[in-house]
Amino acid sequence: MRREKKISKVLRFFFLSIYLIAAIVPLYWIFLTSVKSPHEVYAYPIVYWPKHISFESYKFLFGFANFAQYFKNSLFVSITASFLAMSFSILSGYIMARYKFRFKKFLIITLFLAQMIPAYLLMIPQYTMFSKLGMINNLWALVIVYVNIAASFSTIMARGFFSRIPRSLEEAAMIDGTSRIGAIFRVTLPLSLPGIAAIFSFSFVNTWNELFTAVLFINSNSKMTVPVALNSFISKAGIQWNVMSAGLIVALLPTIIVFAFAQRYIVAGLTQGAVKE
Amino acid sequence: MKRSKAHRNLKNFIFWMLFPTFTIVAILTYYPTIKGILLAFEDYTVFTFQNIQFVGWQNFETIFSDPNFFIALWNTVWWIALSVAFQFVLGFALALLMRKPFRGRGVYAGIVFYPWALSGFALGILWSWLLNGQFGLINDILMKLHLIHHGIDFLSNPSYAFISVIAVNVWYGIPFFAIMILAALQSIPNSLYEAAEIDGAGSVSKFFNVTLPYIKPTVVSTLLLRVIWVMNFPDIIYGMTKGGPAGSTNILATYMINIVYFESDYSKASAVGLIIISILTAYALTYLKFTSSYELGEI
Repeated sequence: MRREKKISKVLRFFFLSIYLIAAIVPLYWIFLTSVKSPHEVYAYPIVYWPKHISFESYKFLFGFANFAQYFKNSLFVSITASFLAMSFSILSGYIMARYKFRFKKFLIITLFLAQMIPAYLLMIPQYTMFSKLGMINNLWALVIVYVNIAASFSTIMARGFFSRIPRSLEEAAMIDGTSRIGAIFRVTLPLSLPGIAAIFSFSFVNTWNELFTAVLFINSNSKMTVPVALNSFISKAGIQWNVMSAGLIVALLPTIIVFAFAQRYIVAGLTQGAVKE
Repeated sequence: MKRSKAHRNLKNFIFWMLFPTFTIVAILTYYPTIKGILLAFEDYTVFTFQNIQFVGWQNFETIFSDPNFFIALWNTVWWIALSVAFQFVLGFALALLMRKPFRGRGVYAGIVFYPWALSGFALGILWSWLLNGQFGLINDILMKLHLIHHGIDFLSNPSYAFISVIAVNVWYGIPFFAIMILAALQSIPNSLYEAAEIDGAGSVSKFFNVTLPYIKPTVVSTLLLRVIWVMNFPDIIYGMTKGGPAGSTNILATYMINIVYFESDYSKASAVGLIIISILTAYALTYLKFTSSYELGEI
C-alpha cells in the first residue's frame, strides 16, 4: 500500500512536469531566439545556449521597425476600450442585477447571443460603416469596435457579481442616511472591485490580442497596432526570426503581466460561467 | 400622482443606465449582422462600392464551385473534432493531477495556464518557428531522439501542416479545460467521497460513481460551448500558415478572412460568413434543445 502510494506520487510528479515543460519551453525558446545574435539564430546544428546575450533584435525593433509607436497605439486602443466597456458594464450590469423591468429577459438574451458572434464575422459591415464616416485608419474606430467586443461579456460578468452582493448592505447604508447613488459608491462598488478588475483585465487581454478587424481597418504604418505589425512582418518576404521573436516577446509581455496579477479574478469570472472563452 | 412620478424617474434611471451598453451592441453587433446577411446577396467589392447590385445567390454559386471551400468545410469538422477532443482529454488529466494540493500549486497553475490568456496569433507565429524545418527546436529534438533522420518541413508540407495546426491548437486549449474542470472538481463536497468510502469504494469506483456524475453537467455544457469557440478561432492558423499551403489548413473562418484580405470581395466573404452563421445557429438550436432537456433530467 505504501509502495503503491509512492509510485503514484512519482507518476504524478512526472506528468505534472511534462505539462510544465510543454508550457514553458515554447516561450523560453522564443525569448532565447530574441537574444541570440542573427548568425546564432540561423546556425546549424541549432544553438541551445547562446555564447553571449545580444539585444540587437530589440534595438532594431524599437529603432528601425518603429515598434514603440505600434506598442503605444495598442496600449491606447486597449486601455481606452477596456475602460469604456468597464464603465458601461458597471451601469448596465448593476441595473440587470437589481431591477425587474420589461424586456429584461430579452436584453439578457441579446447579450448572450452578441458575445457568441465572433468579431471577424462583423468586420466587413463595420468597415463599410466606418469608411462612410471617414474613420478608416483611425484608432478611435478600433476603440469603438473593441468596446463592442468587450461590452456584452463585461455586462454579463458585472451582473453576476453585483447580484452576489446582498441588496441588504445597500439598504443598511441608506437607513444610515446615504442616498442610493451614495450607497452604490460606498458599499457596492468597493465590494465588487475584484470583479471590476477582472472585467478590465479580460477586456484588455481580448482587445490587445485582436487581429482581424485591426488588419482591415488600419493600413497606414503609423497607426498599426502590435498584432497588425506582427502580421506585416510575416507578409514581407522571409521572416527575420530574431526580430520577430523580439516582437513576439514585446507583444506577449503586457498580457503576461496582466494575467499574472489578475489570473485569480479572471479564472473566477470564467468558471462562474460568465465568459465565453 | 407622486408615485407615478417616482415610477417615471425609475424608468428613466433604468433606461439611461442601460443606454450606452445596448446602443453600442445594437449598432456594432446586431446592425452589422443584418447588414452582413444582405451583403451576401449583393456584389460589393472594393471596385463596385459606388454601384452595389443585388445578385441573388450568385456569390453562393461561386463559393460552391470552389473546391477550396469544401476543403475548408471538411477541415473545419476535423479541426473542431480533434481539437476539442484532445483539449478535453489532456485538460481533464491536468485537472485531475492538480486536484490535490501540493507545494507551489498556485505558481504552477499560473505557469501552465498562461497560454490561455495570450494571443493565439502570436503563439501561432511562435510555434511556426519551433516547427521550422531547418532551425526548428521540434525537429532537433525529434532527431536527437532518433525518431526522424531529416528535418520535416511541418508547415510547408500539406500532409503535416494541418496536423501541426491542430496540435498547436490542442496545446493552446488544454488550460481552458483544466481551469473549468478543476473548478468543477473542487466544488464536489468531500462528504460524497466519505460516504463512498464507508460503502467500501476504491479510488477507481469513486472516480466513476462520484466524480464523473457530479461534474458531468459542467463538462457537457463546457464541451458544447467550446465547439462554437474553436470553430471561430482562426488566430492560431493565421499565425502559422494563413490557411496554406494551397488551402490545406483553411477552416471556414480563415477561408473567409482570406477572401476579405486578398480578394477584397466583401460580398463573397459575407456569403461565407452567412454559411458560418447558419451552421452556428443550427448548432446553437440543437445545443439549447439538448441542454434544456438535459437539465430537466430527461437524458
